[in-house]
Amino acid sequence: MLMTGEQYVESLRKLKTRVYMFGEKIDNWVDHPIIRPSINCVKMTYDLAQDPQYVDLMTAKSSLTGETINRFAHLHQSTDDLRKKVKMQRLLGQKTASCFQRCVGMDAFNAVFSTTFEIDKKYGTSYHQNFINYLKFIQKNDLIVDGAMTDPKGDRALAPSKQRDKDLFVHIVERRPDGIVVRGAKAHQTGSINSHEHIIMPTIAMGEDDKDFAVSFACPSDAEGLYMIYGRQSCDTRKLEENADIDLGNKKFGGQEALVVFDNVFIPNDKIFLCGEFEFAGMMVERFAGYHRQSYGGCKVGVGDVLIGAAALAADYNGANKASHVKDKLIEMTHLNETLYCCGIACSAEGYPTQAGNYQIDLLLANVCKQNVTRFPYEIVRLAEDIAGGLMVTMPSAVDFRSDLKVGKDGETLGEVCTKFFAAAPTCTTEERMRILRFIENMCLGASAVGYRTESMHGAGSPQAQRIMIARQGNIEAKKELAKAIAGIK
Amino acid sequence: MKIGVRFCGGCNPRYDRGEALDIIRKSKPNDEFVHAVEGEEYDMLLVIGGCTNCCASFDHFNSLAGVEKVWSTEHIPELLEEIEIARNRICNPE
Repeated sequence: MLMTGEQYVESLRKLKTRVYMFGEKIDNWVDHPIIRPSINCVKMTYDLAQDPQYVDLMTAKSSLTGETINRFAHLHQSTDDLRKKVKMQRLLGQKTASCFQRCVGMDAFNAVFSTTFEIDKKYGTSYHQNFINYLKFIQKNDLIVDGAMTDPKGDRALAPSKQRDKDLFVHIVERRPDGIVVRGAKAHQTGSINSHEHIIMPTIAMGEDDKDFAVSFACPSDAEGLYMIYGRQSCDTRKLEENADIDLGNKKFGGQEALVVFDNVFIPNDKIFLCGEFEFAGMMVERFAGYHRQSYGGCKVGVGDVLIGAAALAADYNGANKASHVKDKLIEMTHLNETLYCCGIACSAEGYPTQAGNYQIDLLLANVCKQNVTRFPYEIVRLAEDIAGGLMVTMPSAVDFRSDLKVGKDGETLGEVCTKFFAAAPTCTTEERMRILRFIENMCLGASAVGYRTESMHGAGSPQAQRIMIARQGNIEAKKELAKAIAGIK
Repeated sequence: MKIGVRFCGGCNPRYDRGEALDIIRKSKPNDEFVHAVEGEEYDMLLVIGGCTNCCASFDHFNSLAGVEKVWSTEHIPELLEEIEIARNRICNPE
């Protein structure tokens, strides 16, 4: 049963999720001005699923139940499903200009589904059935799930079992007949507070000594012993200002990350998907990362669409839209953005079925996609800032623009002075110009830059992680043979 | 005629698909345009795509006179003619 956006927001109020921010426990986090924009983003994934103009991308038929479900809870059944995933993500990026946070769950579903199948095949365990039962519950209730992978990792030179503080990787501290007790944390968790549930996966490939760290499971976001510490963002306290509007740039939407702490959390047996089979930790990581590197070929492209539009508007408002170099910069931004989309679509079109039956992306192309995402949004941002001009970071506050304080010799108010000196082309009001420049600021170096810039760099794995995968998948030996054959070398 | 409408998902539409449907609707005031639902039977299925790919899924819908696709407002005049042809075919079966 699909939830409406409003039902989703109300469902969050029923959770007892423990959230901390600025040294305090936040009881009503649903309406907190710093958190709410990120909830609005997730809400959009529900709203669009109800709109006939978007249902073809936003919904799918469940392979488990035959029911219509939100595509974010879908197991990809074909390359067409993989392509539609990317298109859906582009759409949501366009509608929010932010990270909408629901992809991590979808990517976890598909990675855990196929990996558990192969674990059970080797060990005769029942993780796959556990997961199917769990996903049916998620699909039926149209829930948000945070797919949590990244551990704090401590000393990067050491394996999980060799860390001075074992809590730096989520691990099993107790095995009981009815389940396990886990301890540790997951860092940078996108949308964790806005999620009903969490799926935990290991963060790296592991050896035999790391058995207790090779663990995957699901638990409710308000499980006993689980709490979250909100990650602050650039310019975040602007959201706390009275009548905050123009200075926010994007008043409605935003992303969210948090540290999710597991303080001895009990996980019942039927919610466990990996428990000590260390050699499958790497498979789960690689599959999740592959899907998530595909995801960025959609979501960041949608945000890029909005930023390109904002830069073009800024050029219009500045009266610079006819300058050839401005036109060329918009072309370059579009070229870069569509190149990312090409990568997202390509790795989807070249997908293949796993042993479990769901579809996996082409790993090489997905890693190329994400590697480009670590670079191109930065260049798109640079060009947007170039077109916008320095005013996007030097203009007075919205309060100044609205001020009645008399400051001029002829009685001009502060607001009148600001409006006079920041007017530009006659096609816009000064306020409209301020709005678009603040919007660009928000995406380039404000709160949404978390999602569009640094998340592009490190989300779904930092650049070097993709280069390792590209090296593995690059087929260099075959390329050498090609060269030898034509050059006449035997 | 009862015409089932299926939009593509709208990831990067080159025109306003909703506005296009409004134009089509106003041009054919005696026909009923409804959002297509699985299990229902329509006289015609209209697929409105936002670009040349026109990737909307529609195989799971039933239609007597087949499927018409548009992915540009330039297609609307031709579509309106096709609706008339379909009407004649349905009203005057061979």
